[in-house]
Amino acid sequence: MFEMASNLTTTTTPRAVNGHSSIYLPTIAQVVDVQTETAFEKVYTVRLPGGQNLGHRPGQFVMVSIPGVGEAPISVMSSPSRTFDTFKLCIRNAGDLTSVIHNTILPGDYIGIRGPFGRGFPLEVFKGKDVLVAPGGLGMAPARSLIDEILDNREEYGRLIVLYGAKNPSEILFRDELRAWRQRDDIELFVTVDRPDESWVGHIGVITRLFPRVQINPFKTIAVTIGPPVMYRFVVMELLGKGLTPDQIWMSFERRMKCGVGKCGHCQVNHRYSCQDGPAWTYAEALAFEEAL
Amino acid sequence: MSLYILPKERLPGFVDNLRAGFRVVGPVRTETGYAFADIRSADELVLEYPTTILPPKKYLLPQRETLFTFRTGKAEDGAQQIEVEPVFQDVQPTVIFGVHTCDMHGIVLYDKVFSQGYKDEHYCARREQTYIIGIECLRPCDDASFCKDMGTLTAPPVYDLHMTAVDDNYLIDTGTEKGERLLLANVEAHLATTDDIRRLSQTLSAKWPHFRHRLKMTKDQIPSLMAINYGSHIWDTLGERCLACGSCTNVCPTCFCFDVQDEMALNMEEGERARMWDSCQLREFALVAGGHNFRASKASRVRHRMMRKGKYIQQVHGITGCTGCGRCQRACLVDITIPGTLNALYDEMQIDLSSATGA
Amino acid sequence: MLAKPKIAFFDFTSCEGCQLTVIDALQTHLGLLDLVEIVQFREAMSEKGDDYQIAFIEGSCTRESDEQRLRAIRQQAMIVVALGACAHLGGVNAMKNRWPIEDVQTYVYGQAGRNLYESYPARPISEVIEVDYAIPGCPIDREEFVRIVQRLLQGRKPKLPDYPLCVECKLAENACLNKLGKPCLGPITRAGCHAICPSHGDGCEGCRGFISEANFTYMREILRGHGLSDVEIDAQFTMFNYYQLAAMGADAPLSQINGNGHRRHAADAEVLPASTFAAPKEA
Repeated sequence: MFEMASNLTTTTTPRAVNGHSSIYLPTIAQVVDVQTETAFEKVYTVRLPGGQNLGHRPGQFVMVSIPGVGEAPISVMSSPSRTFDTFKLCIRNAGDLTSVIHNTILPGDYIGIRGPFGRGFPLEVFKGKDVLVAPGGLGMAPARSLIDEILDNREEYGRLIVLYGAKNPSEILFRDELRAWRQRDDIELFVTVDRPDESWVGHIGVITRLFPRVQINPFKTIAVTIGPPVMYRFVVMELLGKGLTPDQIWMSFERRMKCGVGKCGHCQVNHRYSCQDGPAWTYAEALAFEEAL
Repeated sequence: MSLYILPKERLPGFVDNLRAGFRVVGPVRTETGYAFADIRSADELVLEYPTTILPPKKYLLPQRETLFTFRTGKAEDGAQQIEVEPVFQDVQPTVIFGVHTCDMHGIVLYDKVFSQGYKDEHYCARREQTYIIGIECLRPCDDASFCKDMGTLTAPPVYDLHMTAVDDNYLIDTGTEKGERLLLANVEAHLATTDDIRRLSQTLSAKWPHFRHRLKMTKDQIPSLMAINYGSHIWDTLGERCLACGSCTNVCPTCFCFDVQDEMALNMEEGERARMWDSCQLREFALVAGGHNFRASKASRVRHRMMRKGKYIQQVHGITGCTGCGRCQRACLVDITIPGTLNALYDEMQIDLSSATGA
Repeated sequence: MLAKPKIAFFDFTSCEGCQLTVIDALQTHLGLLDLVEIVQFREAMSEKGDDYQIAFIEGSCTRESDEQRLRAIRQQAMIVVALGACAHLGGVNAMKNRWPIEDVQTYVYGQAGRNLYESYPARPISEVIEVDYAIPGCPIDREEFVRIVQRLLQGRKPKLPDYPLCVECKLAENACLNKLGKPCLGPITRAGCHAICPSHGDGCEGCRGFISEANFTYMREILRGHGLSDVEIDAQFTMFNYYQLAAMGADAPLSQINGNGHRRHAADAEVLPASTFAAPKEA
């Protein structure tokens, strides 16, 4: 799993000095498209030099940077099945770096990319199973990678159930896709918002309210939940209540990260590094770490 | 590789010869104690020193280290352009003199951390050009030391040369071939005789009684002691006292966590990305954009440090996470110590046990 | 942010040392003048432009007529930055707040002092107008000033360290003054000055303000260990930080003296304990 970072190359600058190369040196990639998704999120389409394939799997992340500002981990939103010469990142305006990205990066501009990093979701384990994806908030971005991957290889998986919770209607991501998914009969989609506005006609309440709506076969279902830390405990309760075992439940543990390569110590969850050993972990694995939940 | 004998009076000549081809650093006297510093003349080097505030890690992991430089600008079409170039800072032939055995154990850990997985060539390039010359500790630094408990009173195989003061000589063990070449090329030293080695053995066996045990448990029991006591109330007590000043981690020879920050030149077009020492004891260490802090309480941070030293590093790297050097105890203003904590956890378990059995 | 913003410097009750540090920075960092255009800076130039976007304000608000001026600056500036401890925290000026203003005036100027000049308890400028950012310190750190200007130009929020001075003091490999028995507020004071005072043997007096999780209880224990009385410790804590302490409700260090409100001194003055920092008495 360690060779992935090194096969990216920059065309503009040397990667090595005196035979040494740096795991911290970003590849300079071009932003080819920027779409405004909500008031807080924009989707950036990024092209690596030479149109090189990112070579990621769903659940992995890249370190995105603007030299002079800083670097932060961002989940990859596009699925491997739709990643050719570009990939997509859904970036929320939440911190120092991401606000500069939102305010200054336009199509044609360059950003730094390192990665992909982390373990990601093991699709080989998911294949042949029903997959229940339960994203909350911005967790929809990495979930999208998994959902699209399954949709593009539909025959390899069983049912696909998506339970999506957002704070309010204006924060719902990927409305066009959600609409398209509703038209399909091979994906079961339920969306809820905590705080509806007058236009909202869908489900109301936190994400766990959606779970009674679906019946699953606990013997052949894998669940994936990605969202803010507070959400996991409640979602896990629901999933356990449906008869899933802890090793059938996958979740993503995102932490502060400064290096992405298991050195800087910021993302530690007990003795494990979220950037390398995670961010995707099963609940069974997470049970062994007191700091996970 | 073998044992050599070097009369003490030849040490200055050795140091001066090394200085011709190397950056030589080692313990020197300061106003208030000792510190590792560049050796400008051989007589500055003090090999019999109790301890230093910072361990020699500062030469292997500079406090601030440039990772790469960048240049940004606008292309003709107005699009922003970026060029980056890696920097490998402080990669130069260096000799670190007078490294205590505890600190060598810290270097063993760093070598693992930065070479395994993704190889950190910033560290490795520097490390490859660094010679470690150890010094055998014949007396404990002070009451804060507990190297004997942690099994760090003997040198790990990380040194190029390791010196033991025996009467008017240094007995020098060569740990690596390059160390042996370094020695023989820079000073006249002879192979130790049977008699020299006998005196070395006497010196080494005579030193042990001078070091005391401070822990009530063995080193091997520490990981399970920590595992059992993750939920102990002791962490709250320590968290209340803790100043969250990060002194314990900055002085620690096995701490290596770092922050990464960009700095711009005044022209706002050039700059560099650098890493700097960071501490898990500081409030913002596990704080993410959006405001969630994964270790908001000082108690959780103190526990994380203790867990790393007593358990996590052992789990990940198979070696002890604490060298027993005592620096964190010396640096702490509110008397949070590793032996004190471990012993308190241990005592508590004895009480639990006795009450459980009705004794 | 604008390509080359116009900036202005203003001073209120202060020693003007922070502005001197800025003038210093302009000499050591010549490129600064390529980044910004200074339109008003009484300390350094005679021209006066009022079309500034960023205002740097030194000094605390110590009289009613200051308030009007502060509001006018706020009205004009897109960004207001408090420059130095007086503007940021009230600074040493706020020490006087512990006693009735009349007592302070007569202590310094005799009976004539009562009507000599306009004065009321000193406040940080954030008590009067909205302040966007602060550059702490007495005086400010020149490198930090330059860094913060750069960040503003990048359209970023300046970020101050929220960890104690001890971090920088350890990196400087200083022997700990508190360990040597000398009072030092490093463990509760915001870093960013590279521990300049402790590095030269003087204990930190807290000019950069306290960190958000300052452990006053154990800081007090440490200072008691040096033989300081609680009154002396309160004096240490409040030298620069009268306001911040009150806002943080920290271990009620002022409670034994005069509570936390600057308007209550008259009543409290009666019960001031005797110490070098107790109420000034006329000779």
